[in-house]
Amino acid sequence: MPNTPTSPASYQLALQQLCDSALPTGAFAHSLGFESYIERGLVHDEQSFAVWLAAFAGQQLTYSDALAIRFLYEDVSVAELDALLTAQLLPRQLREASIKMGTRLLEIGAEIFPSLELAEYRELVGSGRAAGHQPLAFAVVARSLGVPLPEALAAYLFATLTSLTQNAVRAIPLGQNAGQRLLRKAAGDVAAAVERAATLDRSDFGAVSPGLEISQMRHERQRARMFMS
Amino acid sequence: MSTTAAADSAVETPRGELALRIDVRGGRSVASHQYHQGALRVLRPHYLDDSGQVCYVVVNPGGAYLGADLYVLEVEVADGAKLLLTTQSATKIYRTPGSFAEQRMRLRLGEESQLELAPDQLIAYREASYRQNTHITLHPTSSLVMSEVITPGWSPDGASFRYEELRLRTEIRVESRGKIGLLALDNLLIRPPAYDVTGMGFMEGFSHVGSLIVVDRRVDQALVDELHVLTGGHDAYTGVSLTATANGISGLVLRSLSNSTEELNRLLGACSALLRQRWHGTAPLNLRKY
Repeated sequence: MPNTPTSPASYQLALQQLCDSALPTGAFAHSLGFESYIERGLVHDEQSFAVWLAAFAGQQLTYSDALAIRFLYEDVSVAELDALLTAQLLPRQLREASIKMGTRLLEIGAEIFPSLELAEYRELVGSGRAAGHQPLAFAVVARSLGVPLPEALAAYLFATLTSLTQNAVRAIPLGQNAGQRLLRKAAGDVAAAVERAATLDRSDFGAVSPGLEISQMRHERQRARMFMS
Repeated sequence: MSTTAAADSAVETPRGELALRIDVRGGRSVASHQYHQGALRVLRPHYLDDSGQVCYVVVNPGGAYLGADLYVLEVEVADGAKLLLTTQSATKIYRTPGSFAEQRMRLRLGEESQLELAPDQLIAYREASYRQNTHITLHPTSSLVMSEVITPGWSPDGASFRYEELRLRTEIRVESRGKIGLLALDNLLIRPPAYDVTGMGFMEGFSHVGSLIVVDRRVDQALVDELHVLTGGHDAYTGVSLTATANGISGLVLRSLSNSTEELNRLLGACSALLRQRWHGTAPLNLRKY
């Protein structure tokens, strides 16, 4: 019979800090495409945002972010994965959002969770050999803290969906309780994404839906907007 | 991790093979090497105008891709050569029970070379699975324009998404002085049985997908914006964006959803016509295949 743990895992609080929406990576400034759906009137309430959020979690986050994190944990080189993400994030604003938030996460990480692996990734970015993507910056830090892959994936995906939901609460707008109901529901999407990401392979990497991509591309030309992506 | 799904393919001897190398001879582009085997061949080349660009039409005499069929195409456009590669008719994928049809294509573009890839639409019928892997290597001075339209085939119940799986994966690399950089990875995966692909966040209520990829040193944000305006007049939901930069050049990717092959062909044709006119001074493509 396993012993009942009497203390939290060593990485527990570090992981919470890394995933806290107060971590200043600038996530509040990105809709990652949902603002296009607001403009078209397709996302306008709790229910319609839930549909978008589930599609985003099941497609973009699973096939791009979650796979990149998993491959890093499986020892694929960070430089190779960084180049794959740069090439695969075809909508310009999405690519720039990933790099912007990733660069911030690398800076913050270097101050509070320094490690050899993180220093190496920063060196690649500093010398122009890598762009510095958010899921990879997260994965490098989480792995160096000893966070197991399933927990790292679930925490990253839920943190991303939390930021997006908070942004939707402001933008649509929705009530605070609606935001909490959405997040509770998103937990199911996160579990499904973690499960599916484990079954995919290299040929699946970067498979995103045409609809999400088009909305992200069209956001570049949206006139009135609150978000950078 | 394997980079292609080749290992899963039931038949490793290709059902059709085609190799083509285009060189410049006396101011015109001509095939300096040509090989075909099995169910793939090309029609006699022709020239649409006096630009020197040669047009090859790929023919699949079998007329369709079936389960475990593997097609392999290898095309090289040498320094300065110009090629337009198209198909004689739509690529039809029929039922592929327990297996999938596959096309592997490797394209290499030399310095100052030009490739327009304009196949007819891909039609995926009921219970069809298809994988297309395209690897392109080009030079910073090459010019690539490739378009693609995917349509669901007719099914007895009239529903659109009765195919099993479509995977169209394209990798584009730019090679310069021995350094190779990945410019774009375009991975389109549609699996109707696995999840609802029809609605918001996926096909947005449409049934057809069109794509255009352009890589050329003259691609910039202004051109992307211009194509966005150009596509606005069509009955389709379209996005276009600038790719990352590799070895100093960028590309653009345009994605469009619609309910009509003709509308997507008109939209992609309008973009291609603008590029042909501006960059090469040539008229819009008029392939008169039917």
